[in-house]
Amino acid sequence: MSYKIEIEDLNAWFNAKKVLKDIYMKIPEKAVTAIIGPSGCGKTTLIRCINRMHELSPGGKVSGRVLLNGENIYAKDVDPVIIRRKVGMVFQKPNPFPMMSVYDNVAAGLKLTGLNDKSKLDEIVEKSLKLTSLWEEVKNELHKSGASLSGGQQQRLCIARALAVEPEVILMDEPTSALDPLASAKIEQLIRRLSKKYTIIIVTHNMQQAARVSDFTGFLYLGELVEFDETKKIFENPKTELTEKYITGEFG
Amino acid sequence: MSRLLDAGLENLSTTLIKMGEIAENAVVTSIEGFLNGIDVINKVRSLSEALVSMRRKVEDDAFELIARYQPVASDLRILKSYMKIAYDLERYGRYALDISFDHKTFAKLEKGVLVDYKLEQLAEKVAKMVHMSITALKGHDAKLSKKLAGIENEVDELYMNVLKQFSRMPIRTKSLISNVLVVRYLERIADHATYIGESLVYIATGERVILR
Repeated sequence: MSYKIEIEDLNAWFNAKKVLKDIYMKIPEKAVTAIIGPSGCGKTTLIRCINRMHELSPGGKVSGRVLLNGENIYAKDVDPVIIRRKVGMVFQKPNPFPMMSVYDNVAAGLKLTGLNDKSKLDEIVEKSLKLTSLWEEVKNELHKSGASLSGGQQQRLCIARALAVEPEVILMDEPTSALDPLASAKIEQLIRRLSKKYTIIIVTHNMQQAARVSDFTGFLYLGELVEFDETKKIFENPKTELTEKYITGEFG
Repeated sequence: MSRLLDAGLENLSTTLIKMGEIAENAVVTSIEGFLNGIDVINKVRSLSEALVSMRRKVEDDAFELIARYQPVASDLRILKSYMKIAYDLERYGRYALDISFDHKTFAKLEKGVLVDYKLEQLAEKVAKMVHMSITALKGHDAKLSKKLAGIENEVDELYMNVLKQFSRMPIRTKSLISNVLVVRYLERIADHATYIGESLVYIATGERVILR
């Protein structure tokens, strides 16, 4: 198995409060890894450390190594902007740029990279919208505001926006928690489809969602990685009692 | 705090234990009827029929719990195993009925054992395995379940031994068919006792063992 990301001795703080403790984790390439755990356990912080976003939070501090393709993203000469392009992020609440059209939402990241060739932009926008199965739904309304779409469509638009800059890894922070079941199911199908090409890490509160979409699952508790294994093993026969208790709903 | 799933699991466990008691009763009754030349078919049939409908109930209830609560880990292992054990218990009942039926049909209720005491020994061991499997079920006892493997080996040895004895017997003997079939049913009951043991080990540890 090849690993896209290797997390070594990762610790993270908000000011003096340590929120991640000595995390070691190897994230397989082109697979979906779910991070589960109760509120406040450090799930979101963990994925924000993977694209150097945690350091942007007030009081946010990180130590340790996160290797992307074997290179430490926290090395001195690394530009965090490049990392964030390689490691895209999709948030809990769909956040299309409200004043921008559907088209511009997808093209926004590309334009920031300096791409202005209209036909190239058209091509990438169409490809990204097709990847997220949104193309057929919006192809005649590309210049409508992104905010006019339904919640589920907005979230797929945000995923298309993330895909447009051709990332290698996509981080998703509870991407369906604001969506109805049907819209959630579409996102889940999309996650499975995208995993053939991208490495995906999803934080979810919904354990059934983790069981449905992921190949590997990590259980985080009080900032520590309690267990990390194949999803099948975690949900059928977890090794630790703490994981067992959490996933069977005895606490959390 | 008890979970919504817990009440369902408890009901299911109660039904399964009740099934276990009925199944043991069916096996013991059929063996006694066979060994002593007594007609017990009506009693065994009604026990076997009860097991058939209880098995359906266990399956339906387990299915509903899966649909409602999407259980995982030990909860999921329990439900999967309970459905399987319910089938094994139903088979106890069915083989018990077969024993009584063939004893009546082919041996005309003649006192069972043709050869020496080996068939009686076999029947005793099978009854013991049934009892052990039900006891293990009541306590989800993986340790006791694993002990079934040892007796199963003895049953297999006796089974082959008895069949060899039969193969040397004159075919005019009236009870031969009944005896051969009964021996086979007993051996199958012993197999199902080990299946129950395997399911109980799986519930307790997640380990997939073969106790034969």
